[in-house]
Amino acid sequence: MDALVAQLQRQFRDYTVSLYQLGFLDDQFTELKKLQDDDSPEFVAEVLSLFFEDCVKLIGNMARALDQTGGSTVDFSLVGSSVHQLKGSSSSVGAKRVKGLCVTFKEYCEAQNYEGCVRCLQQVDIEYKTLKTKLQDMFNLEKQIIQAGGKVPQVSIN
Amino acid sequence: MRGDSFSVSIESLPDSPSSSRKKKKKKISKVFDKMTQWVTPWRSKSDLPRERRILRGDVEQEEFQYASSHCLSSYYSVFVVRLAIMVMLAILIGLLTILTWHFTRIYTKQSLQTLAYGLRYELLQRPILRMWSVLNTTSELTTAQVKLSEYVIRKYDKPTTQEELVEMYQAMKDVTWALFTSAKALNAITIKYRNGFVQAFHRDPASSSTYYIFSDLKNYSISGTRPEDVSMTLGHGWHNHTIHGNMSAIWYQQQLDPITGARLGKPLQIPPDDLINIAGISQVPDGEASWHVTVSKYMDSPLLSAALPVFDASNKSIVAVVGVTTALYSVGQLMRDLVEVHGGHIYLTSQEGYLLATSTNGPLLTNTSKGPKLMKAIDSEEWAIKAGAQWLEKTYGRNRPHEIHAENAKLGDQQYYIDSFYLNLKRLPIVGVVIIPRKFIMGKVDERAFKTLVILISASVCIFIIGCVCILILTNGVSKEMKLRAELIRQLDARRRAEASSNYKSQFLANMSHELRTPMAAVIGLLDILISDDCLSNEQYATVTQIRKCSTALLRLLNNILDLSKVESGKLVLEEAEFDLGRELEGLVDMFSVQCINHNVETVLDLSDDMPTLVRGDSARLVQIFANLISNSIKFTTTGHIILRGWCENLNSLHDEMSLTGDRKKPWAPIKTKLVHHRNHSQKSCKNENKMVLWFEVDDTGCGIDPSKWDSVFESFEQADPSTTRTHGGTGLGLCIVRNLVNKMGGDIKVVQKNGLGTIMRLYLILTIPDNADQICQPDFSKYGLVVLLSMSGSTARMIQSKWLRKHGIATVEASDWNELTQIIRDLFETGSRENSFDSQHNIAESLRAELSNIQEIKNPVFVIVVDIGILDLTTDIWKEQLNYLDRFSSKAKFAWLLKHDTSNTVKTELRRKGHVMMVNKPLYKAKMIQILEAVIKNRKRSLSNTMSNRGNGSDESHDCLEIDPTQYDTCSSDDSSETSSEKQGDKSVKPSTLPSPVLKNYLLDIAKSNDDPTSGTQKKQEEEEDWKDRSNRLYSGIALDGKNQKSLQGIRILLAEDTPVLQRVATIMLEKMGATVTAVWDGQQAVDALNYKSISAQDSIQEYKLSEQETTQSGFQNSSFYDLILMDCQMPKMDGYEATKAIRRAEIGTELHIPIVALTAHAMSSDEAKCLEVGMDAYLTKPIDRKLMVSTILSLTTKSSTLLTSFSA
Repeated sequence: MDALVAQLQRQFRDYTVSLYQLGFLDDQFTELKKLQDDDSPEFVAEVLSLFFEDCVKLIGNMARALDQTGGSTVDFSLVGSSVHQLKGSSSSVGAKRVKGLCVTFKEYCEAQNYEGCVRCLQQVDIEYKTLKTKLQDMFNLEKQIIQAGGKVPQVSIN
Repeated sequence: MRGDSFSVSIESLPDSPSSSRKKKKKKISKVFDKMTQWVTPWRSKSDLPRERRILRGDVEQEEFQYASSHCLSSYYSVFVVRLAIMVMLAILIGLLTILTWHFTRIYTKQSLQTLAYGLRYELLQRPILRMWSVLNTTSELTTAQVKLSEYVIRKYDKPTTQEELVEMYQAMKDVTWALFTSAKALNAITIKYRNGFVQAFHRDPASSSTYYIFSDLKNYSISGTRPEDVSMTLGHGWHNHTIHGNMSAIWYQQQLDPITGARLGKPLQIPPDDLINIAGISQVPDGEASWHVTVSKYMDSPLLSAALPVFDASNKSIVAVVGVTTALYSVGQLMRDLVEVHGGHIYLTSQEGYLLATSTNGPLLTNTSKGPKLMKAIDSEEWAIKAGAQWLEKTYGRNRPHEIHAENAKLGDQQYYIDSFYLNLKRLPIVGVVIIPRKFIMGKVDERAFKTLVILISASVCIFIIGCVCILILTNGVSKEMKLRAELIRQLDARRRAEASSNYKSQFLANMSHELRTPMAAVIGLLDILISDDCLSNEQYATVTQIRKCSTALLRLLNNILDLSKVESGKLVLEEAEFDLGRELEGLVDMFSVQCINHNVETVLDLSDDMPTLVRGDSARLVQIFANLISNSIKFTTTGHIILRGWCENLNSLHDEMSLTGDRKKPWAPIKTKLVHHRNHSQKSCKNENKMVLWFEVDDTGCGIDPSKWDSVFESFEQADPSTTRTHGGTGLGLCIVRNLVNKMGGDIKVVQKNGLGTIMRLYLILTIPDNADQICQPDFSKYGLVVLLSMSGSTARMIQSKWLRKHGIATVEASDWNELTQIIRDLFETGSRENSFDSQHNIAESLRAELSNIQEIKNPVFVIVVDIGILDLTTDIWKEQLNYLDRFSSKAKFAWLLKHDTSNTVKTELRRKGHVMMVNKPLYKAKMIQILEAVIKNRKRSLSNTMSNRGNGSDESHDCLEIDPTQYDTCSSDDSSETSSEKQGDKSVKPSTLPSPVLKNYLLDIAKSNDDPTSGTQKKQEEEEDWKDRSNRLYSGIALDGKNQKSLQGIRILLAEDTPVLQRVATIMLEKMGATVTAVWDGQQAVDALNYKSISAQDSIQEYKLSEQETTQSGFQNSSFYDLILMDCQMPKMDGYEATKAIRRAEIGTELHIPIVALTAHAMSSDEAKCLEVGMDAYLTKPIDRKLMVSTILSLTTKSSTLLTSFSA
């Protein structure tokens, strides 16, 4: 039992570290984790689900804004504000890659570069979905650890 | 049209091609230019409008974006201008030439023609006049002859006898002779009588002899036909009779002497009519005079003969006919003379066209078989006359006008003037013709005209060429200017590009530092975690704190690099806040000393005492300046020292200071003057502010900078030696930032001359000193009889330190190594052995000797021995023995230890074990020294008080205590807390000058009194240690302490306006974790609404609270609304943060409320910050939210108001 827990814990640690190292997450996520305690045990999951909902909504908005007009009369300010929001929320949860993409996206938006925007939108879409699956995996691991009776280890990234 | 399209095509050329392409273009255009310089005029015409257009000042209006195309077109415009001017010149000169030629020629020609006409007229007139006079003469002579004949015949009227008749004839002969001789021009005079008798005198010009011709008298009867018949049968009777008579008559020719008329020889018989024409009755048919042109055998010119009848007395019948013949020879002669002078030909013809006289020598008569005959002009042998006559004939035909003036008659291959006049003489009309070759009159004129034309043309060609050259030379200047202008435009373009690249550079830097900030934040965060860990030893704690400091410095640096782009774009706004200058610099030196010690370089901070502690300015930038300078120095210094010197000048007393501190400021003459200027300015602009000029010097013993590079090192990416990057790394950006910042602070930086190795960077800054600040808190140590023994390995730091100490009246002894230290210690404390140890005294220098003797004279000295740990031999275990040795003197002196950052724990524990608690990290600087001294004094006071309390114990130092002034003693020994509390209470009795600044207390790592008082015990010592540790903690990480306190925001109610759910959630949890009550709203409008509602209800509640005063909570008073603070996102739907803030602030007008609003924004530029503050926000946080920063911000804002309110309520 303990061996399983230890293995799971190691797996979890490695996985988390890899997420950091691959640049999916940054220290803001750590901050987020710190906020989770016994008072709000599901805080991280809650925030993340909020974030992903936000993502779906914002990406949908942007897709509509970019799609319907075919590039000629796109309301870039609309897209821009959505990107800004997405950037804010992604930076708050520490979704580093999404945030980075948002920065690029925003530049394209300001330059009114339709192609770039569309490309970024697609990338953001892919990226947030990837992140979602990754985090899903991570939460699954956490659950497994808890089920196995272990304690979710604090992972520090250095 | 052509020109337009041409220019458009040029201007629409792309303006940013590669330079090579441009060059090519330039070349092509040059070739084109040269080619077209000599091209046909149509091009110039077509180019003319374009050139005008450009000349009209488009050059000025052109924007620089068309720079390259413009410079290309300028070549064309110059070329076109030249061409146009040349064409204009050509036209001008051509016109001038033509006009000149025309007028000269035409006028000359006309006047000449008039003259020539007159001449011709005259020419013709004269022969005609001569002719006329000949005619007149002939006629007069004839008339005279007739009259004489009539007279003679009347005398012998009706001769009846032969004798009478002969007599009459003789008389006639005499009369006629007389007449004949008198008129030499006459050729012949003939008288033919009615009866057929002929008398004639004749001159033969050939033989110049005169003859008398007469007919035989015998054959004539006196009674001829009746006179009565004459009138009736005038013509026929006479004619027939004469012919008949003559036929039968015998004629004689008698030669006469031409002068006397005497007969010469015998008369010869000649055939009748052989010699001369005898005018008969037939020639005067109507009794009038008649004219004939005749020819004679002997004359080669025509003769003019006139015939006149002689009437009898009754005037009814003709008795004789007189004929006078004159040769026209003289006319011809005249004409020849005339022609000889004037040239050309003249001839006279009769109306029928027979030649009468010519100007030539050619014959006028044709010899036919019937004798000579008159010749027609057209048949003349003379070519000119013939041709002229033919031309006249051809041109005018038969009915020729009386006067003809033909100017351009072409005869042969020459042009002639032909003029013809008609002289209408009765019975003998004469036509005169003058033929003058045009050459004679106009020849010269034509020649001149031709020459003039040639000269004019060549002159104009010359002028044109010279003009062209002049234009080329003149426009050369213009074209040079054009080229220069093009060059300028290119330069501007290049500059723009360079600026753009500089912008990219700044952008890159900004991006880079932006990226670097994240890992740095992680480092700091981790350090915070480490600091909050409880299991750290003090040393570790200090180290970690140091690391954290460095990290924050690095982060600050990164932020500053981010700002450098802002400096360069002029957007940097310097902060204006009070800060402790000395402390900042000390921290900086601390930070760098770690690096320096690794380098075996001393870092020394040498601030003069008059430096203000508190100044207003941007501390971060100031630190950045020195951080850059020091790190730069460290980079190049391998051994020696780095000194950061600082002194100050009050702007108002600048002049005095200048004169006083001459030697130090000598190399600064130019800056001084600048400073004075500046001062004048600043005095005007900010009279009220207490400005100060702070001078700093960073002096190192590095490799130095070549004087030629002194200016350029401050340029961006400029390094003194290109190999620097390889050997030392770096970007060459540091000094650039420094200069920018220094300039921004109203100062200047410069490399100055240094004696010896290394570099001195000297700079001055102008900073404001807050008025209320207690500027100089200079403790007075001289009263305590302190003796400091500085034993430090670094000579520079030691010297500076001892100098300072001596200045403050503290006796100081220096020792540079262990031996010296022991020597001095022995000298000082082992007084007994001192006299004896001669050998040791030999080692001590005389100055030191004097110093030592001075110290001996101090009563009750307090010895402080500052020992650099480096003096001990740490490589082996000898240091323990050395410590033991020193320990022997611990009762007599206080030891303060200078540790290195890497001093091992064993040493530290050993020291602590020995009771040495005064340990400071290197480097030693003024503040640390003061701290040590104060600690010593404090301990001294404690021990004194102990002695005072139990006097009976009779400590060996008890007799000294009485000398200490109680007041001084009290104030100087008052510790931190009492001091702050006394300040808070506004205790004015405490003299600021003697008050050690509270911050000065915080430098000792670990300090405890040397335990020479057994009664105080370990408990007290521990207390002390705790006290110090706590203080140190607060010094090194104030934030970390906050971080530990999880519930730091307990009881604070926060309104959070945030539209992003994620952020809202995170922030809410974060704040709630720290004990705050959070209300979240989704946009600015809701925030405003929430506030309005709450404030209304709050007012109600205040009423209630007032009713029940007992229940008044602090929050009720704290703020009239339910919220202590608002966290406001800047970008929100419906109403953004700025608008919401404005609305809230508007609502607050008139009330005393001021709810703190903190902006949350994802933009991290200070311009955004400015915007936030402008709309009335109080603080500014960037996303993602940094917890600590947020907490500190919130606390600072809420406690401010709470303290305010507490004091208000109190």
